[in-house]
Amino acid sequence: MDKQEVERRIKKVTAQVLGVPESDINAQSGFASDLGAESIQAIQLVAAFEEEFGIQMDEEEALSVSTVGRAVDFIHKVVQEQKGG
Amino acid sequence: MKLVIFEDDRSANFYPLALSRPVFELRCGMDDLAAKIVRWAGVSADAYLVRDYLVDTFKARSPGKVNDLSGLRGQVLAVNGRLLAGSDAKPPGDPGAYWLDDGALGWLLTDKDLSAVADYAALAKVAEGEPKQPCAAKAFKYIWDVMLASVEQIAVDFKSAGRSGIEGSVEQPSAIRGSKGDVYIAPGAEVHPMVVIDASAGPVYLDEQVEVHPFTRIEGPAYVGPKSILLGTKLREGCSIGPVCRVGGEVEESVIHGHSNKYHDGFLGHAYVGEWVNLGAQTSNSDLKNDYSSVEVVLNGKKINTGSTKVGSLIGDHTKTSIGTLFNTGSIVGAMGIIMATGSVLPKSIPSFAWFLNGATTKGFGRRALYQTAKTAMGRRKKEWTDADQAMWEHIYELTRNERETAIRRGRRQFLGRA
Repeated sequence: MDKQEVERRIKKVTAQVLGVPESDINAQSGFASDLGAESIQAIQLVAAFEEEFGIQMDEEEALSVSTVGRAVDFIHKVVQEQKGG
Repeated sequence: MKLVIFEDDRSANFYPLALSRPVFELRCGMDDLAAKIVRWAGVSADAYLVRDYLVDTFKARSPGKVNDLSGLRGQVLAVNGRLLAGSDAKPPGDPGAYWLDDGALGWLLTDKDLSAVADYAALAKVAEGEPKQPCAAKAFKYIWDVMLASVEQIAVDFKSAGRSGIEGSVEQPSAIRGSKGDVYIAPGAEVHPMVVIDASAGPVYLDEQVEVHPFTRIEGPAYVGPKSILLGTKLREGCSIGPVCRVGGEVEESVIHGHSNKYHDGFLGHAYVGEWVNLGAQTSNSDLKNDYSSVEVVLNGKKINTGSTKVGSLIGDHTKTSIGTLFNTGSIVGAMGIIMATGSVLPKSIPSFAWFLNGATTKGFGRRALYQTAKTAMGRRKKEWTDADQAMWEHIYELTRNERETAIRRGRRQFLGRA
């Protein structure tokens, strides 16, 4: 799975969980600072990403990821490690 | 005679409360099952047999040997810790192994050398070689049985304690209904003005340094443990409150272990609450179904009919609920959980270490954050979170992994609308 695909799916999930338009989400968007995610929603996002990509993330590491762009890098890395592609 | 109190292999029936304590440390009435066994046997316990992972934490608070029967000379009476001691059965006079209807060992009276016995399996093996007899004592089968028996046990234990009268203080205007012989207010206990203690239906025992704030009504049978505070509480009949608790709102026929708080309004009925639990304001449970049928509980993945029309919530140690949490009839709420209200009644089974948020079990902020919260809560009452506590809870985390991960997977699907 390439990073573009990861980014596309992260934006789709983020829009669904946070109830924001996909067009409002870009790589620089901060989940909390720009998209309004509160702590409970951050936890929901982690869970939703795990379901979307079929991966397991360390919750402390995942919750420290603050922007969409960093999420793309983080999740792409986890997908490579756990699913080999 | 030496006394050994042991756990058998049915501890899982007493989850979530027995995840973090031996079954014989479950409160029932005014004290725990082990204390009743000691009174019934007439001697202190010399040793205990518990699940391996509980040894270090239990050893820290136990005067006897744990999982070590070496050095016990002479006749030994080993008693199953889930027995309700004193239930119309006297200690055995004849050596032998006395077995319960469910196949577990009830008690063993023997002169045999038990120094090689370090667990229940080894003890049962020794017992199999002894003359076999039926055990007449009542043994609890499930955690809710302990809760349901607690009401009657308060009266039994009050009689055993042999104390009555006012040794603390009762400020006026207050009222005591029923016989004064059925009320004991221990030294240092303070009953503020405008309190009603109603012992007309059963005795009331307020232990040392209990505080009862104005507009509290206490209906017996009732026991309130040392340094606990009742805050304008409607303490309906049949409550057993442990030490250092803060209890407000309405509570009925419930057991609450020590250091737990239900400070604010909300109804708790026919519940069994562990240690270090905090129930947020307006946390309530249902204890009676609208059709008055028997309550079913989902325990260890199996649905069990309790045979009782009144069973509330069974909540493990260190769990915290948010304001407005609503528990269904017969709910099992695991230990070390963070439970957020949803505005509706929550699922009947929430696993241990769950961060239950927006209607689903999640990994939340992880178990390290839960341990930090536990450490902070204990520190506020000047108790230490030890390495032994950490190791025990790590073991419990693994023990409860499967149930939790199943719930987490379901929760993930819910968040994406795929459930």
